[in-house]
Amino acid sequence: MTLQAHSRSPAAVAGMLLQPLRFALMHLYPVALLLAAWEASVAAGLVKKILLPAPSAVFARLFELLQTAAFLDHIAQTLVRLFAGLGIATALGLAVGLAAANSRIGGRMLEPLVRILAPIPKIALYPALILILGFEHASKIALVAADAVFPILFATYHGARMVERKLLWSARAAGTSPAACVYKIVLPAALPSILTGFRIALVISCVVVFLAEMISSTDGLGHLLIRAARSFRTVDMFVPLVTISLLGLLLNALVAAGRRQLLAGYGEAQ
Amino acid sequence: MNPRGSLLSLPGVPPLLSLAALLVLWQLAARLAGIEGLPSATRVIAALPAIVFNPGSLIEIGASLGRMAIGFLIALLVAIPTGLVMGRSRAVAGFLNPLLALIYPVPKAALMPVIMLWFGVGDFSKMLVIFLGVSLPLVFHSYAGARAVDEKLVWSAMAMGMPAHRRVFAIILPSALPEVMLGCRVGIAMALIVMVSSEMIARQSGVGNLLFNSLDMAQYDTVYATIIVIGAIGFALDALFETVRRRLTFWAEVREETVVGTG
Repeated sequence: MTLQAHSRSPAAVAGMLLQPLRFALMHLYPVALLLAAWEASVAAGLVKKILLPAPSAVFARLFELLQTAAFLDHIAQTLVRLFAGLGIATALGLAVGLAAANSRIGGRMLEPLVRILAPIPKIALYPALILILGFEHASKIALVAADAVFPILFATYHGARMVERKLLWSARAAGTSPAACVYKIVLPAALPSILTGFRIALVISCVVVFLAEMISSTDGLGHLLIRAARSFRTVDMFVPLVTISLLGLLLNALVAAGRRQLLAGYGEAQ
Repeated sequence: MNPRGSLLSLPGVPPLLSLAALLVLWQLAARLAGIEGLPSATRVIAALPAIVFNPGSLIEIGASLGRMAIGFLIALLVAIPTGLVMGRSRAVAGFLNPLLALIYPVPKAALMPVIMLWFGVGDFSKMLVIFLGVSLPLVFHSYAGARAVDEKLVWSAMAMGMPAHRRVFAIILPSALPEVMLGCRVGIAMALIVMVSSEMIARQSGVGNLLFNSLDMAQYDTVYATIIVIGAIGFALDALFETVRRRLTFWAEVREETVVGTG
């Protein structure tokens, strides 16, 4: 290990160190350009500050708010709903997806039902969920779960269906129980697909929880946006939008990193 | 094959059976729960004609769908060429990809208050937010489609002296079409989602407003009936587009795709 590192030429080592920097530069320059153009057009008075605050003002306000307990509490409320809904969706999607993929009757029953339910905009169910579950956490969690369940379900179903039948037959012939087959063969084989579905579900959850909080809530990031909009505080309108987007980007990056770790041995399966 | 098996294999039968099962479950749940907020399926179905034959709500629904169609069509005109250019030019893709990745997790319907502040409460704001929601999946799919074009076809055409604008229509667009059509399918789902959620947020007009108005007036049957109408619109648009897509790209490998939008 150390020997190898020593044997590398200084130029190669420098190249290795520069690689991430070059990667960051190549991928971040459009973002930097956009922010700079936005900042400059506000500074030059091309757009009114009251309509479009400068990014520096938005981020300054965000850092200021991040030090207040009230703002952190709103973030916490949003995250509770987000993770509760996503958790339910994951459990449900995995269970139903595996059941449908592994039994012919299950697949027959499920496919038409999913065909009907999937293209329906789930957000339209929100008033009904409010009526049944009330204005508090439960209705928002249910909405997040309803929206996030389909990508996970589809991904699990398709992933589990792609499992090579011969592997299952060999395992069964060698005396593995059907339940053990699910853990030992189907789940690991379907994992790349499931994790892809999970990433989509995660971003959907971030969006939906925010929308639900905008439509009816007394706390959470979405509510902060509506509250700021009512009193025309534009900087405060952008802060929750930026926060939820950054949360989405962050969680998405975390799952992507976790996915790479989990799938390290999968070869080109990703 | 036994008659039961052949009946189940008819095209329209399994969805109808699932729908019936869903309604029975709903009816049972309503009976068991016995709360005012969950009226029985029969009562809600009885309330459906009141919406479907009411000129007032029909006009609202029609206006919503009209805005949705315009937003969607403008997105088609802008997003598909953008995606195709990204797929053919590394520099453009390198520039736009980070920006698109940045916009991806932004809740588009949530931009409604900001957009209304800029452009007022009129139709333009509502169409703009739909346009924004639809554009992203369309760009992504068109990009993927244009990247997957067989380079040898392009080279052969260039070697035979086909001009660039002809290559776009004769090679790149047809090759990318299956993927572009998948993007359109996701886009239609997105358009409906963004339309309903932005109307629920803005509370000015449209289907989303209809929902919350009846909720505020405690007309629970109407709330559920409106949800059924929206669901039916979503299902019908998807089914309609799928028939068109199958016709247009029948040669392409059937790819199963999860139709999910991110609001």
